[in-house]
Amino acid sequence: MLETVVQAVINGLLIGGIYALVSIGVTLIFGVVKIVNFAQGEFVMVGMYITYFLATQFGLDPILSLVVSMPVLFVVGVLIQHTLIRRVLGLNDLPQIFLTFALSLLLMNLALMLLTANYRTVHTWYSDEALHFAGLYVPVAKLIAFVLAMFLSGLLWVFLHATDLGKAMRAASQNREVAQLMGINPHRVFAVALGIALALAGAAGSLLMPFYPAYPLVGQVFVLMAFVAVVLGTLGNVIGALVASLLMGVAESFGIQFIGADSGLIVVFLMLLTMLAVRPGGLAGGRRR
Amino acid sequence: MTDVLVIKGLSKQFGGLRAVQDLSFNVRENETLALIGPNGAGKTTAFNLIMGYHRPDEGVVEAFGQNIVGVRPHAVCAHGVARTFQVAKPFGGMTVLANVMTGAFLRHRNPQAARDKARQTIEFVGLATKEAFAARDLTTIDQRRLEMARALATEPRLLLLDEVMAGLNPSEIDQAVALVRKLSARGLTIVIVEHLMRAIMAVAKHIVVLDHGQKIAEGSPKEIIENPEVIRAYLGSYAHVPAGAVR
Amino acid sequence: MMGIRGWGSVVLIIVVAVMLALPLVVKNSFAIEIFIRVLLFAFIGSAWNLLGGYAKQLSLGHAAFFGLGAYTSTLMQIDLGISPWIGMVTGAAVALMASLPIGWLCFRLRGPYFAIATIATANVLMLVFLKFRDFAWGAEGTTIPNLGHAPLMMQFETKIPYYYIVLGLLAIALLVTWWIERSRVGYYLVAIGEDEDAAEAVGVDVPKVKRNIYMISAFLTGMAGTFYTQYIYFIDPQTAFNFNISIEAALVSIVGGVGTLWGPVIGTILLETTSALLQSWLGNSIGGVQLTVYALILMAVILWRPTGIMGYLVEMYGRRIHTSPAEAG
Repeated sequence: MLETVVQAVINGLLIGGIYALVSIGVTLIFGVVKIVNFAQGEFVMVGMYITYFLATQFGLDPILSLVVSMPVLFVVGVLIQHTLIRRVLGLNDLPQIFLTFALSLLLMNLALMLLTANYRTVHTWYSDEALHFAGLYVPVAKLIAFVLAMFLSGLLWVFLHATDLGKAMRAASQNREVAQLMGINPHRVFAVALGIALALAGAAGSLLMPFYPAYPLVGQVFVLMAFVAVVLGTLGNVIGALVASLLMGVAESFGIQFIGADSGLIVVFLMLLTMLAVRPGGLAGGRRR
Repeated sequence: MTDVLVIKGLSKQFGGLRAVQDLSFNVRENETLALIGPNGAGKTTAFNLIMGYHRPDEGVVEAFGQNIVGVRPHAVCAHGVARTFQVAKPFGGMTVLANVMTGAFLRHRNPQAARDKARQTIEFVGLATKEAFAARDLTTIDQRRLEMARALATEPRLLLLDEVMAGLNPSEIDQAVALVRKLSARGLTIVIVEHLMRAIMAVAKHIVVLDHGQKIAEGSPKEIIENPEVIRAYLGSYAHVPAGAVR
Repeated sequence: MMGIRGWGSVVLIIVVAVMLALPLVVKNSFAIEIFIRVLLFAFIGSAWNLLGGYAKQLSLGHAAFFGLGAYTSTLMQIDLGISPWIGMVTGAAVALMASLPIGWLCFRLRGPYFAIATIATANVLMLVFLKFRDFAWGAEGTTIPNLGHAPLMMQFETKIPYYYIVLGLLAIALLVTWWIERSRVGYYLVAIGEDEDAAEAVGVDVPKVKRNIYMISAFLTGMAGTFYTQYIYFIDPQTAFNFNISIEAALVSIVGGVGTLWGPVIGTILLETTSALLQSWLGNSIGGVQLTVYALILMAVILWRPTGIMGYLVEMYGRRIHTSPAEAG
C-alpha cells in the first residue's frame, strides 16, 4: 500500500514538472504583461511538432532538440509581443482575453488542417526504459523531463533574481509605473517575458515527446492544468506556480490511481473550485478584502 | 447638531504597511471637514474604509448613527454616503447623461425620473452643454464635474471628495471651490481630501491632519497652520500661507 | 418627413415580415437548415450578450447551461414521458438554478480568470455526464425516439416548424434584451461592464445585478439546449457541453458588436454564412478550416474593430443607427 502511494507521488511529481514549465510561463506573462496567455498550451504543441520534425527528419534526440525549440519559441514570443500583444495593452479585458484566445484557436486548427489529427510519437532508446528500485518504477524519459524541467525553472529563478533584466522584469511585474520611471522599457521587458514563457512551453513540448504523443489539441490539456496551477499558486507568483503544478500532478496521479483512469481532470478541477470557494487569492494570496 | 460621521480607533494594515492607525474624528452635520496630509498619509485609505471597499482591522465607523463597518459600498451609498475617486473613474463609453443617470437610479427607479434628476444635477455642476458627450472624451476638470454629478445624483447627505482639485488651473480651482461651497450651502456634509491649502482654507473650518496613517493634529485652519507637528510633517511647505487666507 | 426613428421601425417591420415568410418562399431544405442554425446561434449569442456584452463578464462556459437544458428535457421526455415543451422551460429553470452556485464560484475571480473558471465548470459538467452512465446514458448518449409528426412532443416531419420555434426563441431573447436595455438594469449592466468599483460607489448592488443577469442568460441558453436536442434527435455529453458552443456564443457577439441589441444577430449571420460557404467549397474533409477562419475573423475584429460590426456602423453613420439608452442617456 505504501508502495502504491509513493509510486503515485512519484508519477505525479514527474508529470508535475512539465505542468510547471507551462504554468510558470503563464504566470510570468500574467505577472509582467498582465495578460493571460490562452495560447500557452498551443506553444507546447508547437514545441512538440518541432521536436517531432527534427526527430523524424534529422534523427535528433528530443532532449537535444531543446537547443532548437527553445530559441525558436523565444523568437516567436518576441514577435508575438511586438505584433499582437502590444496592440491590446492598456485596453480592457475583452480584447486581451480574446486575442490570445483567438491565437489559441488559430494554432490548434491550423495544426489540424495542415498536420491532421493523427497522433505523432517519437520513440527513443530510453522511451521504454525505467529505473526499478524499492518496488518502485520510474520511467527514464519522465525522469529526464522532470530533472530538466526543474533545472530550467531554477535557471529562470536565477535569471529573475540575479540579472538586471530579470530584476527589471520583477519590478515591472510589481509596479509598472515606478519601473517605467526608473527607466525600464516596458516593451523590452514584455518581449523578454513572452519569449521566456514561450521558450519554456517549447521546452515542455520537447521534453514530452519521448513519452507523450503530439496532436493538434494536445495543448488544451496542459493549458488547463497550467491555469489551475497559476490560480492555485497565486497569479504572477513563479514559485507558487511551480509548487502548485507539482501538487496538482500528485493530486491528478492520486485520482488516477485510487479513483479511476479518467478522474484526473475532475480531481484537478475540484481542487480549483475548492480553492476558489475557500481562498480565491491562491496559496500565497489570502482571503479577498 | 448631530454627528453625521463618527470614526473611532480606525486601523487598517496591508501586509506590513500600517495604512491607517487608530484614527478618530467626528464630522458634524453640514460641516465641511478637510482631511490633509502628505502623500501616502492614508487619506484615500480612510475613504475606502468608510465606503466599505476594505474592512478595517479595528475601529468603528458610524454614519448617521448607524454602524457601517462591513457594509458593502453600494449599501453605504444607499445609506447616504457618496464619494468621488482620486483618479476619476467615469463610465467611459456612456454619455455624461447616462453616467449621472446611473447614480440617479439609486433613488429613482423610473428611467424618465432618473433622467430628470440627472439633468438637474448636471445643470448644477455646470456640465449641461456636454450632456451628450462620451465620458471618456471629457477634459480633466469636466471629468471631475462628472464624478461629482454622479455622486450627487445618489442624493447623499455626506459627500467624500478625494482630491477633486488636483491638476486644475487657478481659475478652475476657483470654480471647484465655488461648487463645494454651493453644496455646503445646500446642507450637505462634506469631507474633502486636498493638497491645495488655499482651497482648503476657502471651504473648511475643521481640519484633520494625517501623517503615516495617524492623526497628528485637528482644529481650525489657524490652529493647524501654527501647529509645529503639521509644519514638520510637510517640511515647511505650508509655512508660506498668506495671513489673509484664513477667513 | 419620417425621421431616423420612423425609418428604423419600417425596416424592422420589413425584416420581421421577411423572416416570417422566408420558409414559405425558400424551399431548399439545406437553406432552411442554415437559417435555423443562424437563428439558433443568434439566440444563444443574444443570451450570452446580456452577461458578456453589456456587463462584460466574459463567460466561456455557457455550454454548461446549454447542456443542462438539453439533458433535463431529454431525461424528462425519455424517463417520464413529459413533453419537451415543458421540458424546455424546466431545463431552462435548471440552468438558471445552476447559475447560482456557478456564479458564486466564478465571480470570485475577475477578467480572464473568470473566463477560465467558467470553462472549468462546463468541463466538469461534461466529465460528470461522461462518467455517470447510470443516470444519463454516459458517453454514448442517446437518441430521441422518432415519433414522426408529434407537435406536442416537439417533433415534426419537416424543418419548417423548427424554424418558427427558433425564430420565436430569438424574438424572445431580443425582446428581453430590448426591454432590459432601457430599464434601470440596463444602465447598471453597462456601468458594471465599464467599472465595477465606480458602479458600487453610486449604489449599484454589483453582486446582485451580476447574479440576476447570469440567471436570465443561463435560462435562455438552457432553452437553446432543449431545442437543439429536439432538432437533431440526439444527445451526448460531447455535443451538449461542447466547448464550441461556448466559443460561438461569445464570438458572434464580439464580431457583431458586444453590448448591442443586433450585434449577436449580425455576427451570427456573418460567421455562419462564412461557415456555410466554406463547407460548400471545401466539404467536411479538412478538419479545422471553419475554426481557423473564425479565429482569423476574431483576431481581425480584436485588432481593428473591438466594438464589432455594430461599432463600425455607429462610427460611420453616427449614433442614430442604434445606441442603447445606457450609452446615449
